[in-house]
Amino acid sequence: MKALSKTFGFALAVTAVFAAFAAAATLALGSTSLSAGNAAVSSCGISSLTATRDVDNSGNVLQVNVSGVAASCTGETLSVTLKSSTGSSLGSASTTISGTTATVTGFGSVSATNVYGYAFAVEGA
Amino acid sequence: MKKILLLGVVATIAIGTATGFAATLSVGSNHLWAGTQSLTKATCTLTGTTQSVDTYVNQASANTSYGTTTTMLVQPNSGSEKRALITFDLSKCSPTIPTTGGADTATLALHVTSAPTRSRTLTLWRATSSWSSTSTWNTQPSLASSSTTTFASGTTASTINVPVTVDADDIIKGSTNYGWVVTDEGSTAAGDTTTFATSNSTTNKPVLTINYEK
Repeated sequence: MKALSKTFGFALAVTAVFAAFAAAATLALGSTSLSAGNAAVSSCGISSLTATRDVDNSGNVLQVNVSGVAASCTGETLSVTLKSSTGSSLGSASTTISGTTATVTGFGSVSATNVYGYAFAVEGA
Repeated sequence: MKKILLLGVVATIAIGTATGFAATLSVGSNHLWAGTQSLTKATCTLTGTTQSVDTYVNQASANTSYGTTTTMLVQPNSGSEKRALITFDLSKCSPTIPTTGGADTATLALHVTSAPTRSRTLTLWRATSSWSSTSTWNTQPSLASSSTTTFASGTTASTINVPVTVDADDIIKGSTNYGWVVTDEGSTAAGDTTTFATSNSTTNKPVLTINYEK
């Protein structure tokens, strides 16, 4: 009986561990449905992207020219964010990929002097 | 009694396990890739006879070169038009500007040593063929089909900062650098000559400043 009680205690402990993991994935829900989770996703074949930008005579970014796009990414969406020296966003724009290079426009009035990096995201079905 | 407790143990573990994996979801098979690229910045300032070449050409003396003078003249007069020519050697920048970079801003500083009596609208053109300090009106370079910018001469001696960011960016990315030509496209009137200091001058030499990424 004593051994059985120990076993039962162990079982409760196991339950608590699993419950803790379950709680880690719990989300605060509103009145609409919400799902969360994780799974492995693959890229469309990109290993790295590099960019240059064109400027106007005042030094504002007109467009960002991205190279290194895999041909298999055609039809997917490329988003580019201009980053400041502190990593904050100065502006974002996106385009639909249609080749191995892409031109992204529409960043608004962003001075190239303030751009210290690009963040890229490629997303598609 | 033992069976009841054993059943309880099994049920407890089963419930706990089920609770633990209830949060695992399938999110489909969408493609997703993310990456970053960092940029570093530098500034290049070019001036003087070892980093620049300048002169002017004179329609009235079409075979005369002015490459050693300390001033260069710009005036509109038909038949005696004068144009200033200037270029900088970007290979003298340190650190070297990579062709994968680009100009964030670029400014050409020209010092007016003698201003016209009325302010002139001067035009800056990109030169599109080679020239040297010994070039003359008859051997001057060709000009781009559209101008880089226009700027006012002013009526007093002062330094004028002319933005040339697009041209500098283009040159950094591999376009051949033939420099610039300053013209006065306006109508002719007396006292319209704008005089700039050249790289041969002891002070106020032309300066090209490029803020670039590398």
